[in-house]
Amino acid sequence: MVGQVARGGLLTGVVLAVLLPLWVVVVTSLASRETIDEAGGLVLVPREIDVSAYVTIFSGGQVTRALWISALVTTVGTAVSVTLTVLAAYGLSRPGSVAHRGLLLYFLLTFLVYPGMVPSYLVVTGLGLKDSLWALILPSAISVFNLVVLRAFFQNIPGDLLDSARIDGAGEFRILARIVLPLSRAVIAVVALFYAVGYWNVWFTALLYIDDNARFPSQRVLQSFILAGQSPNTSGLVGAAMPPTLAIKMAVVVVTVAPVVLVYPFVQRHFVKGVIVGAVRG
Amino acid sequence: MEAPGPDLATTRRNVLGLLGLGAAATVGGALLGGCGGEARSTGDAQNLDRLAGLLPHQRPLPAGIPAPDIAGVRPVPDGYTDFPADLVDAVAERPGSSGQEIRAMTPAWGPAPPGLGQSAYLAAVNAELGVPVNFSVQDGNTYAEKLNAMLGARDVPDLLCVPEWEVSKLPRFSDAVAALFEDLTDHLAGDRITAYPMLATLPTGAWRNALWNERLMAIPNPTDGPFPWALFCRRDLLDRAGLGYPTSMDELLEIGRQVTDPARGVWAFSDIFAMVQMFYRSPGTDDGWRLRPDGTPEFKYETPEFRQAVEFMARVYREGLVHPDLVASRGADAKQLFQSGRIIFHQDGLGMWQPMQAEQQKVTPGFDIQPVPVFSATGGDPLVWGDDDPISYTFIRKGLGRARVEELLRVINWCSAPFGTTEFHLREYGVEGRHHTRGAAGPAKTDLGFKEIANQYFFISGRSPVIQPYPQTPNYVRDLLTYSNEMVRYLEKDPWAGLKLEMPARFKAGLVPTEDKITDILRGRRPLRDLDTVIREWRTSGGGDEAREFRARALADAGR
Repeated sequence: MVGQVARGGLLTGVVLAVLLPLWVVVVTSLASRETIDEAGGLVLVPREIDVSAYVTIFSGGQVTRALWISALVTTVGTAVSVTLTVLAAYGLSRPGSVAHRGLLLYFLLTFLVYPGMVPSYLVVTGLGLKDSLWALILPSAISVFNLVVLRAFFQNIPGDLLDSARIDGAGEFRILARIVLPLSRAVIAVVALFYAVGYWNVWFTALLYIDDNARFPSQRVLQSFILAGQSPNTSGLVGAAMPPTLAIKMAVVVVTVAPVVLVYPFVQRHFVKGVIVGAVRG
Repeated sequence: MEAPGPDLATTRRNVLGLLGLGAAATVGGALLGGCGGEARSTGDAQNLDRLAGLLPHQRPLPAGIPAPDIAGVRPVPDGYTDFPADLVDAVAERPGSSGQEIRAMTPAWGPAPPGLGQSAYLAAVNAELGVPVNFSVQDGNTYAEKLNAMLGARDVPDLLCVPEWEVSKLPRFSDAVAALFEDLTDHLAGDRITAYPMLATLPTGAWRNALWNERLMAIPNPTDGPFPWALFCRRDLLDRAGLGYPTSMDELLEIGRQVTDPARGVWAFSDIFAMVQMFYRSPGTDDGWRLRPDGTPEFKYETPEFRQAVEFMARVYREGLVHPDLVASRGADAKQLFQSGRIIFHQDGLGMWQPMQAEQQKVTPGFDIQPVPVFSATGGDPLVWGDDDPISYTFIRKGLGRARVEELLRVINWCSAPFGTTEFHLREYGVEGRHHTRGAAGPAKTDLGFKEIANQYFFISGRSPVIQPYPQTPNYVRDLLTYSNEMVRYLEKDPWAGLKLEMPARFKAGLVPTEDKITDILRGRRPLRDLDTVIREWRTSGGGDEAREFRARALADAGR
C-alpha cells in the first residue's frame, strides 16, 4: 500500500515535471502585458486569454509563409531522405553487394570527420544551390546514424525469406519493395520521424544558404521574433529596439513545438518498437 | 602603393589561409584553423597617424539645415529637440543610372522586413536612387557566423555591411578585406571626396577607422554615442522610496540592500559588473588595456582596480542583491525584469533607453528610467569607458569596374544625407501617409513603417550623426545629452588610439574562457582566492603575455 502511494506520488511528480513547463509556456503566451509585468516573468495562473502575441506573430503573413515552407521542406526532405537511406541501407545490408565494405567505411567516416563550414558552403554555392530550398535538403539528405539503424534491421530479416522470393523470380527491387519494406514499416516510421523533426528544425543551414527573406523556413523567422531587440553590445544607439514581450517569445515556442507534438502520437507506437528492434538485434 | 595581401589569383596557401579564416572563428569548428591561420596569429598593427594624408577632407553640412538645439561635446553628437519645419533637398542628381540591381547584405535585430517587390518602402527609396537595391537582411545576432562563411568562400554581395563589433570576431580580417573588397582610396582620399558631398560631412575620426592595409577600404557609419554601458535605474521607483542616485560604492550597496525585498519579488541589480569595474576605474575602453607608469602595457585583470571590482561584485552576489533568475541562467530576460520593476538597477547600452521608455510608459504610468551618473569609488575623477569607433562599415565588392564603383558610391552618398534633408527623412521614415504620419511633434511611424523599415539603407551608408527627437519621449534628447556631455569629460584615454590592432589569435580565443571563470568567481561557484590562478592561466595559456608584448611593440613602432 505504502509502496503504491509512493509510486503514485513519484509518477505524479514526473508527470508534473513534464507538463508544468508546457503549461507555463502556453499560459504565458496567452497572457496580457500587465499580467506578465505583475508576475515578473513567466505566468503560472491564467487570468485572461489575450491572443495579441499570436496576432503579432501571424500578422504580415511572414510566419504563415515560413510555416508552409517548412512543411514543404519537411515533406520533400523526408521523402528524399527516407528513399535514399532505404536504398543505401538495403544495398549495404546484402553481403554480396559490390564494394559494400569500403562504402560502409566511407559512410562511417563522416561520423568522425566533419568537412567544416566553409568547404560545405563552397560546395553548396558551387552547385548553384544558394537561395534554393534544396540547399536545406541535399547536404543533409542521408544521416549515417539512420543508415546504420536501417542496415542493422535489414540484416536481421531472415535470408531464407529473400531466397525464396528470388526462387519465385523476384529481382532485388521487387524484394525490397514487396518483402523488406513491409516487414520494416516500424523502423522506417521511426527513421522518417527522425528526419522529419530534423527538417522541421532546420535553422543553421538556412542561416548560411538562404538570403531571400521570402524563403526562410519557420525556425529562422521565429528565431528573429525571439531575439528581436537584443541590442548589439555597441556604444551606438542604433539597432536597439524593444525586446518582444515574453508572451511573444512563448507564442513562438508554442508555434514551433505544436506540429511536432501533434504528429508524435501517431508515430509513437512505431517509435518504441522500432528503436528497440534496431538496437537489440543490431 | 599596392595593397599587401593575397590577390584574387591566389596560391594554395592563401586559399587555405582564407579557409582558416572561416573555420577558426566557428566555435568548435576549428578543424581548418590550423591550416593557414598561423600566418597572422601574432597580430597586426597599423598606425593610422601616418596615414592621415589619405583621409577625406570634411566639409560642412548642406546649407539650410538648422543649427542643433543642444551641442554635444565630441564624440557625443549634437541633438535636436524638435523636428525642422522644412527639409532640405541635398542630392540633386539621381545616383543610379545603370539599372543594374545592387545586392547588399545588412543586419537587423528583429523579424526580417519584406524584400524587394513586397515592400513599398524599398520601392520608394529605390525610385529615388534610380537603381534597385536588393537587400538580404540577416539576423544581427548571428551575423558573424554568416560573414565567416561568406568571407571564407569569397562570396560577397556588391555592398556588404560589417558591424564594427563583428570585426574583432573575424580572424585575419585585413587579409579578407584586401582580397575581396574594392580599394576606395583613389575615389575618396583628400579632396576627391567632394564628388560625394554627403560622405564629405562624415567626421574625420570615423574615416580613420575605415583604413585597412594602409588603404581606405570602406565607408564608415559614424557612432552616435561613444559609451558602451550605462547603469540605468528606475528613477520613478527610487523617487517613491525617497532614494537618490548613489555616489559611492557604500551608497550603492546600501541602496541595493534597501530596495531588495525578496518577499515582494524585487531585487536591486542585474549583472552590473562592467559598471562596477568602471566605478573602480578599471580600464575597459580598449578591451581593458592601459599603460603602467613605467610605460609597459597591462591588462585589466592585472590591475588592483579590477580586483576591487571583483571583490565588490562577488559581495553583491553573496548578499543576494542580484535577481535570482539572472544568477541561475544566462537566458533570463533582465530587460523584462527591469521594465516590470523586479530589478531597480540594470546595466545596458544607452540604446535601450528611448525604446524602453516609449514602450513601457504606455503600460506603467510614471515610468521613468535614467542613467546613474558614473562616480569614482576611490575618489578623484570618475573614469568612463568609450570610444568613437564607427557603428559599421560598408564595403564594395572588388572587381566591379570603375563606373559601377562610382555608381555604388553615389548611392551610398545619397543614403548618407544628414538629418534635416528630404533624403534622410525618406530613408528614416519612409513615405508620408504610408510609413509615417506627420504630427506637430514630428513624424510617427505607422505599423507598415515599423514592418518595412529596418535600417536597410542606414547600414549601407554613414551619416553625420545627431541625436534626433522622438515625439513620444520629449525629454529624451535633453536627458541623454546632459548625461553624455557630463560623462564624456571623463572618457578614458586610450594610449593606442589611432592604432588599428588585430590582436594575436591566442589572446582573442583566451578572453571568453577567462571571463567565464571570473563569472564563476563572482557568482560564488569558485572561491575568490581562485582569481590569482585564473589570471596566471590567462597570462600563459590565454595569450596574455603574448598580447602584452604585441601591444608594447605596436606603441614602440608608432614612436610613442
